[in-house]
Amino acid sequence: MKRRSFLKGSIATSTLTIAASAGLLHPTSVLADYPTAAFDADDAAAAVSDIMGSSDASDSGDIVLKAPVQAENGAVVPVKVSTSVPAEAIAIVVEGNPKPLVLAATLGAGANGVLSGRIKMGKTSNVVAYAKTAGGVIKASQEVKVTVGGCGG
Amino acid sequence: MTTKIKLKKKSNGYDVLVLAKHPMETGNRKDKKTGKIIPAHYITSMKFAVNGNDTVEASLSQGVSTNPLIGTSLSDLKAGDVVSVSWVDNQDGGESAEATVK
Amino acid sequence: MRKLITSLMAGSLMATAAIAVATPSVEEVKADIEEFQAYFAKRFPSVALEDYQDGVNVLPQYADRRANWEMQLDFPPSEEWVDMGLEEWDTPLSNGKSFDSCFADSPAGNNYPFVDGDGKLHTIAGDINSCIVANGGEKEKYAGQKMARLTIAYKSRANGEPLMVDYSSKEMRDWYEKGREFFWAKRGQLNLSCADCHVHSAGNSVRGDVLSAALGHSTGFPVYRTKWGANNGKKPLGTIQRRYKGCNSNIRAAAFKPGKAEYTGLEVYEAIMSTGVPLSVPGQRQ
Repeated sequence: MKRRSFLKGSIATSTLTIAASAGLLHPTSVLADYPTAAFDADDAAAAVSDIMGSSDASDSGDIVLKAPVQAENGAVVPVKVSTSVPAEAIAIVVEGNPKPLVLAATLGAGANGVLSGRIKMGKTSNVVAYAKTAGGVIKASQEVKVTVGGCGG
Repeated sequence: MTTKIKLKKKSNGYDVLVLAKHPMETGNRKDKKTGKIIPAHYITSMKFAVNGNDTVEASLSQGVSTNPLIGTSLSDLKAGDVVSVSWVDNQDGGESAEATVK
Repeated sequence: MRKLITSLMAGSLMATAAIAVATPSVEEVKADIEEFQAYFAKRFPSVALEDYQDGVNVLPQYADRRANWEMQLDFPPSEEWVDMGLEEWDTPLSNGKSFDSCFADSPAGNNYPFVDGDGKLHTIAGDINSCIVANGGEKEKYAGQKMARLTIAYKSRANGEPLMVDYSSKEMRDWYEKGREFFWAKRGQLNLSCADCHVHSAGNSVRGDVLSAALGHSTGFPVYRTKWGANNGKKPLGTIQRRYKGCNSNIRAAAFKPGKAEYTGLEVYEAIMSTGVPLSVPGQRQ
C-alpha cells in the first residue's frame, strides 16, 4: 500500500503555512503529551489509572454515555460522553478490546465536558466512560453487543 | 480538504465535530497480496484551539475507526472566533482545518 | 382481475416462463399501492408513511441499533462522497456541456423513473449515461461508484419531496407489471422472492440482521453502507441496482446485469409502491 504523505502536496500549502506560523502544528510538543503507556496497557484498570491518576471511579449520573445497545458494525461504533459537571479529562474504555483505552481528551478553558467518536470493538463488551472531576473520577458504562468483529484482524 | 470541521450551535455552546480522512491502521492487518503486515498508521493527537489558544486535546489510538470523527463542545464562543483543529499521526503526518463562528 | 391480496396471503408467485400479461389499468395500480401500503401500516402501526424514508432504522425491531444511525447522522461518512459527486456533476463533459444542460427538461428526482413522449423509459442512471455519451464521453458502469455519486447529486435535489412516479402511460404500467412479477416470483437455491423477506418477513431477523420493509426502499437509494465503507472500503456507495445484484447473489439466485430489463422493471415497481414516501438520499445504512 502506498504510504500517504499528508504534509507533502495533498493539502493547500497556504493552510499549512498559516497553521505552522500560528504554532498549530508542533509535533514534538504534541507527542510529549501523548499517554503512550495508557494506550498500550492491556489491562483496563491500569490504563485508567495511568490516564486519570486513579482507577478508583464511582458510578455517577453526572456522566452520561450514549452508545447503541447493539453495534451495526464493530469497526465503527459511535459513542458519546457528556458530563453535567466540569471535567478536566475524559477517557473511553472498551473492556473487551486487547488494548482497552481507545480515546481520551484533556479539556481546557472554554471546553464543555463532551467527547464523542467512532471506535472499534472486537466483541461484545462493556464500554466505560470516565471523567476526572473536582470530586474525583466518575464513570458510566453500557454493554454494547457486537455481532461482527471490527478490529480488522 | 481531507480534514473537515463543523460547528453546530447548541444551548450550552457549540458542538465541534471533526472528520479526518485517515486509514487508522492497527498494525495487525496483513496485505492480502503480499502477506506482509500493514504497518500501524494512526492519528495520535488532535488539538483544538480557539483564536490560537489551545483548549481540548484528544488522544487517539488504533482503537478509533478509520476516518475518525471526533467531537467535543465549546462554550463562550462569539461570532468571528476561529476554531481550529490540528492533528498528527505516528508517521509524522499531520493536517489542520478551521472554521469561523458565524 | 389480478388479485394481489391472494399473492400477499399465499406467499409469492411461482417463477414461470414469461407469459403475455395484460397491462394493468391505472385503477389497478392505484389499488396495488393502497393495498401494499396498508399492509405495512398494519404490520408496523407505529411507523408513519413518511418514516419509511429511513428504512430499517424506523422498524421497532431495530430499536437496539437505531442509535448507530442517529449518531452517524451528526457527521455522515457519506458526506465526502456526496461532495465529490456534486463536483463531478458540475465538471464539464468532453465537449464542454454540463449535466445540468442535459437534465434541464428532465423531471425532478422524485418523479423518476418516467416514460417520455416516445414511450421510452428513463432512469436517472440511464439518463446520466445518455448525457455522457451524447456529449462525447464513455458511459459509466451502471452500478458503479461514480454513477452512484452522480445519481445522488441529481436525486438529492428532490430530498424531502414525496416519490411520485407517473403511471398514466401504458408503457410505464407494462414496466410496472414486469417488476411486480419479478418482486413476487421465487428464485434461486433458497427459493425466495423479494416479498418473502421484505414483505412477509419485514422486521424479522435473518442471520443477525433485521430485514427492511420494501416500502421506502426506493427513497433511500443510492445508499452509503457502513459495511461497504468501513476500514477504508473503496466502494462505499450503492445504487438500488447494485443492491438488487448483491441481494440476489446472497440468496443464491442468478444475479442479473444492472441496467437491463429485469432490475429496471423491479426498480419501477418498487418506486411506484413507495408513492408518497419522501426522498432521503443518500441513505445511511449498515
